[in-house]
Amino acid sequence: MILRSVLLLLAVLLLPMAGLAHIGSPDIYYDGYAGPYHLMVTIRTPVVIPGVAQIEVRSASDDVSRIQILPLRMVGPGADLPPKPDLAERSSADPQRFNGNLWIMVRGSWRVQLKVEGQRGPGELDVPVAAVSTVSAPMSKAFGGMLAALGLLLVAGVIAMVGATTVAKLDPSQEPTPAIRRRGQIRMGAAAAVMIVVLFGASHWWSVEAGSNSRLIYKLPHAELSLQGGNTLHVQLENPNAEAGFDTFGSLRMERQDRLRLDDLISDHGHLVHLFLVRMPDMKSFWHLHPAGGSTAEFTQNLPSLPAGHYQVYADIVHQTGFPETEVAEIDLPSTAGTPLTGDDSGGADLAPSEKVAMLSDGYRMIWAQDGKPLKTKEPIWFRFRIEDQQGKPATGLENYMGMAGHAVFLKTDGQVFAHVHPAGSVSMAAEEIAQAAATGTRPGMAMATMQHAGTPAAAEVSFPYGFPQPGDYRIYVQVKRNGRVETGSFAAHVQDY
Amino acid sequence: MSNAITAQFPARVSAYAVSRSQAIPWYIWCCVAASSSILTGLYWDVSWHATIGRDTFWTPAHLLIQFAGILTAISSGVLIFSTTFGSDQAAKRASVSVLGFRGPMGAFIAAWGGVAMLASAPFDNWWHDAYGLDVKIISPPHMVLALGIASILWGAVILILGQMNRAEETLQRRLHSLLLACSGMIVVLYFIITLQSSGRVFMHSPIAYVAASLGLPFLLESMARASGWRWARTAMASIYMAFFLLAVWIFPLFPGEPKLGPVYFKVTHMVPLGFPMLLAIPAFVLDYLWPKVKSWNKSSQALIAGTAFLAVMVAVQWPFASLLSSPAGHNWFFGTIYHYYATPPNSLDVRNEFYHSLPAAFWIGMASAWGLAVLSTLGGIVFGNWMREVRR
Repeated sequence: MILRSVLLLLAVLLLPMAGLAHIGSPDIYYDGYAGPYHLMVTIRTPVVIPGVAQIEVRSASDDVSRIQILPLRMVGPGADLPPKPDLAERSSADPQRFNGNLWIMVRGSWRVQLKVEGQRGPGELDVPVAAVSTVSAPMSKAFGGMLAALGLLLVAGVIAMVGATTVAKLDPSQEPTPAIRRRGQIRMGAAAAVMIVVLFGASHWWSVEAGSNSRLIYKLPHAELSLQGGNTLHVQLENPNAEAGFDTFGSLRMERQDRLRLDDLISDHGHLVHLFLVRMPDMKSFWHLHPAGGSTAEFTQNLPSLPAGHYQVYADIVHQTGFPETEVAEIDLPSTAGTPLTGDDSGGADLAPSEKVAMLSDGYRMIWAQDGKPLKTKEPIWFRFRIEDQQGKPATGLENYMGMAGHAVFLKTDGQVFAHVHPAGSVSMAAEEIAQAAATGTRPGMAMATMQHAGTPAAAEVSFPYGFPQPGDYRIYVQVKRNGRVETGSFAAHVQDY
Repeated sequence: MSNAITAQFPARVSAYAVSRSQAIPWYIWCCVAASSSILTGLYWDVSWHATIGRDTFWTPAHLLIQFAGILTAISSGVLIFSTTFGSDQAAKRASVSVLGFRGPMGAFIAAWGGVAMLASAPFDNWWHDAYGLDVKIISPPHMVLALGIASILWGAVILILGQMNRAEETLQRRLHSLLLACSGMIVVLYFIITLQSSGRVFMHSPIAYVAASLGLPFLLESMARASGWRWARTAMASIYMAFFLLAVWIFPLFPGEPKLGPVYFKVTHMVPLGFPMLLAIPAFVLDYLWPKVKSWNKSSQALIAGTAFLAVMVAVQWPFASLLSSPAGHNWFFGTIYHYYATPPNSLDVRNEFYHSLPAAFWIGMASAWGLAVLSTLGGIVFGNWMREVRR
């Protein structure tokens, strides 16, 4: 058990560059409704696939009697044949919390189905999950030493037993002669030579298996950026995981249905790419842009007027299967005299971070409503932000920004954690749409209309469910839209280890 | 049958070394029980993975395997320690020395199997953490486990032989029956280990025949030589076929459904591991040929027997595979209607098609299978001759 814990710890330590829809933030936090029941779902995906994910479900009400959970492929074969569901166990410490395990057997896009029973009848909720192997755990020295000792014992046993084969033929009345003993020693020598060959063969086999496994480990995609014509950003997406989308058997090479490709991107709340630029290290210049293009994975974006500096860039995309990815890049930009922000593009050149109150335009303020407790890693939290006018009254004129009451970006100051979060949580909205459509048997666009989430456009408060994956200092950028204008609040957060 | 067996054991009984009783020793029963338990557990476990998918330490299949490991560890341990540190001089004289301990050869082989099984557990656990949960039968930790299991079965065989080769007639006959049973179980184990390569879809390619030629001639030939009985190969092959046939017909009677996704194929009952290969036919041909070639030198025997094995195997299994994949094979009797729950709908297995190699690869593969069959037979002859003389 201790050994398992050590190995798990090692695996977690190797996690920081895990990718997918976010960077370094693989856990899923989701706020949604299973029929009448308001649930907060946390799914901690395994670092190696096949593996076991942990799921925690917290009900906002106390009338839930039973929650069944089961994983299904998002699309294609396996999407409509459910395995036997598991029962999430009610926590003894908190009767509104249910815990369970989910076995995720193949890489790709999944939906986790929650079937809820309670006093208000049954309800169902589908949460999208992207599953990939992100690490290959190394072997600790102590464990390797133990295995080597057992291996040596086995090898020595084989050699000694081969040596005994000459004596084994003797009748019990006979004593082994020196010649028989010598023959036994010769056999032992031959057995030792054979064992060396066998061990080399086994070592080679292990290397081949490890190599095959590393080919399947998810590689973080890096977009290529270049500045053209003074203020046009050219974005070329990369697909380093394309090769892992093939299964090979001898001369057969079969394309997996969920192979990652760049010609299958789908719109995620209206855009194929959500591009985030943050100037490092001060993190005051923050931009949320939506470049155009797409068929060849090339996009262009007319930049607004940006201050010069070194920018960390994150590009969120979603594949047709509902599999989300974030591509990363860095670029040094000169001060650009750009075009005014249009459409859904937004951001600010000098967003000073605050621990509680961020100043918006026209004297409005965004207030982070905290409970005063220190922030800890892995803890699902509703991050609540209140928008007030100059008099401290709830702001009016708030409207949806790309179909959401708000957007939030959680970014660690070293750039190693990035998460684009909505009031529904950390899942991609396009993936959620596909999951709901699969559950209801409708087309994705139709299912979206029936979804319910915390946070409504008219409310002067917006909340985001999320949990920090690592300790350290973070910036939280919160974006809302008021009277046709996108406002961005910047907050500083310090997170302690759980 | 008994007369035929008796006729094969004339002057191999040493007056000094005869067993002191006509009863089969307890440790041989332990090894036979462990072999049966382990094999049933193993088949059940693979079926469990094909049907339910998810397992724990405490599944019935695992318990059978663990029981076998514990039984072997205890019985071999007691036998080795009592021989090493006890005062029974006859037992000491009927023993070999391995790493400073004394005991029957078979007990050491079985004990080695127990240690290998033990070593495979943490190795497999680490493998899961590093590379994911079980998706393959053939992985390094599983092979360590398979070697351990095989050693327990071989340990039982050598233990029986050590006793049989110096026993009196009545006991010898009884031990011989156990020998055949254990030998048949080793053939069953071989087929379970090579399942991934010997499936129906590979029976029109060299893959299934390479897998068969690699070990089966060795097993059939070595055990037959050790047994000395004319129809030993047929008997062993029949035990394997009976085991797999019963499993094909019995396992689907029990309900079972997947507890893992993705589910590509609806499963409602336990999935068996397929109809057996018609091994009894090449085995019968080898048995028939044996008296005619046994006076030849070992290489010539191996060339004839290895060639005959492969030729008959291909001649029988190729058309039989066509039958299995035809509508006539789609029934409970032949068992081709059962599929592992995660068998992709476009797989050859579900589509009842065969994997075809390119012509060059086909002939290279078949030539390899032939070479392996001959070498495997030769190895079986050499090892079988040694086993026939084991007395400790």
